[in-house]
Amino acid sequence: MNANNPLSSLRGQLPVIAVFAALLLVPPLFFDPSTTYLSRRFITVMIFAIFAMALNIIFGETDQLILYMGGIAALGTYTTVLTAQYFEISPWLTLFVGAFVSGVFGALVCYVAARRQFTVIVLAIVTFAFQMIIMEVIVGLRDITGGTTGIPFRDLDLPAVESALGIGAFALQFYVLVGIFAAVFALYMWLTNSKYGLAFAAIRQDEFAARATGIDAIRLKVFAGFLSTFIIGFVGPFYAQTTGIVIPGLFSFNGVDVLVLIILVLGGLRSRFGPLVGAAIVIYLDNLLSQFGQWRTVTFGLLLTILFIYFQDGILPMAQSMYEERGIRDRLAGLRSGE
Amino acid sequence: MLAQGLELLIDGLARGVILSLFGLGITLVFGLGEILNLLLGVFAVVAVIACSLLLGAVPGLAIAGLLAVAFVALFALVLDRTVISLVYREEGEDRILLGIFVTLGLSLFFEGLLFIYYPGSVFLDVGVPSMTVAGASLTGSSIAVIAAAAVLFGLIYYFFNYTYLGIGTRTVIQDETGAVLCGIPPRRVQAIVFVLSAAIAGVAGVFYALEAEVTPASSFTLTSFAIMVSIVGGVDSISGTVAAGIVLGIIMTVAGSLFGSYLATVTLFAAAIAVLIYKPEQIS
Repeated sequence: MNANNPLSSLRGQLPVIAVFAALLLVPPLFFDPSTTYLSRRFITVMIFAIFAMALNIIFGETDQLILYMGGIAALGTYTTVLTAQYFEISPWLTLFVGAFVSGVFGALVCYVAARRQFTVIVLAIVTFAFQMIIMEVIVGLRDITGGTTGIPFRDLDLPAVESALGIGAFALQFYVLVGIFAAVFALYMWLTNSKYGLAFAAIRQDEFAARATGIDAIRLKVFAGFLSTFIIGFVGPFYAQTTGIVIPGLFSFNGVDVLVLIILVLGGLRSRFGPLVGAAIVIYLDNLLSQFGQWRTVTFGLLLTILFIYFQDGILPMAQSMYEERGIRDRLAGLRSGE
Repeated sequence: MLAQGLELLIDGLARGVILSLFGLGITLVFGLGEILNLLLGVFAVVAVIACSLLLGAVPGLAIAGLLAVAFVALFALVLDRTVISLVYREEGEDRILLGIFVTLGLSLFFEGLLFIYYPGSVFLDVGVPSMTVAGASLTGSSIAVIAAAAVLFGLIYYFFNYTYLGIGTRTVIQDETGAVLCGIPPRRVQAIVFVLSAAIAGVAGVFYALEAEVTPASSFTLTSFAIMVSIVGGVDSISGTVAAGIVLGIIMTVAGSLFGSYLATVTLFAAAIAVLIYKPEQIS
């Protein structure tokens, strides 16, 4: 134990503090009560950043590729909204029911996958099939779900808190999402720095060797699967809240999964801030391209192709390693000129 | 009752052979080079649009269809020589993952372009009148599709069993290294089969357009159907895929008429999930 420890650990935390401080400053700086457009975009960035963090836990840490994030978000949202309507209680309570149902469903799928030793591709195809089934069932059961006309939904607000703090509904929603982001962020940091992180790395590198050392790979995969799908199911209703209506189109494969994949790969797998940076870039691009109609799809398709062929390690980690290489080079130059 | 059953059977069979062809498009490329080709639906939609454009210039649906399929084959050849080659450089699981994402990206890219330039829906009319057999009114398009598909299956069977290239292809599916040792260049076979699968998807797309309207959005649906059929059929088994397509087509049609159309689609995906849970090692 030396005296430098707290200080150096504070230095290590500095980027975290800076990022969260910047996030807290977003509403006073950018949220304009007269136009909700920009506020909505910022809220979407947070939602997709959380989605990407959830995918990072299950795919980045345990190599389980799931392609039903839209479906899971829909499961969480419809459960939340329908139970709130049925029991006539606040969706703030049923939010946890929705998330729990999503988490249990996700855990079940991961359990079967781990038990039957699915490869990453098999799990991807199975979850994709579930995505399609969930979408079909939502449209098909229109008596319950409202089909493609949807269910109006704006109840995830807290008017009492808004008036007490003197901030707008969008600012409050943004802060709630920053809170969820912070919780998921803390969870992820704890996971990677605990025995779980080590076990995840072991499973990723060699599952059989990991099992030989006594790691319960099935339990860990199910655990990661539960966490991710719980988070996605929890954030789903907030995603619906931004549009004010729960419709199946909101949770389509192209609308959620493709974007989250691009975000995660752009930000870099297993990177702390990758999801946030990726989400900011992708939602900004989405916003920029939305006025050009289908050119948006064209651009994202191209982006996905190029990213996977040339930048599989992500933009953020690549920039970081370039920066570090340059730092070392500068230091070497300094050493040479100094001595 | 019996007449209605016959009608369902013929419609189901027509749907089934179309699904079989789509499934084959996936099976051939995945079995051969482990690329799950998510572009397959795009090939089908491009063929349908090309066919509808050509109909104004050439006499007859058959000629327009053949020209459209030739165009799709050329399109696939260009893609194979450029982007898909980059995917084949990788090996094992990396290639599978890269293949999924690259073809997914490309399918979005082309789907977007199709939406921009050809946003409408296309329906091709074969001009075969409905027939009445034993009191059942059979759709003309279904009978035309079944007849044309029967010829096509015969050609495919001949190709894989009696031509040097077809036997070579099966050799590469069984064992890539072994094929190299026998003097069969896998990459060239992979390119030929990629083009062949695109052509099959093109034909299937034209058949599909005889039965239902096709829009750029159809490409995603058709690709997902194709993958599911291929999985139920065993992914690297050609005869398995054909059988799976026909069985699923009939089941989907019957389930659709009994319980509503959305359950037909659910049946297909649920069947694929069940097969994967039962035999996950078929894709490795």
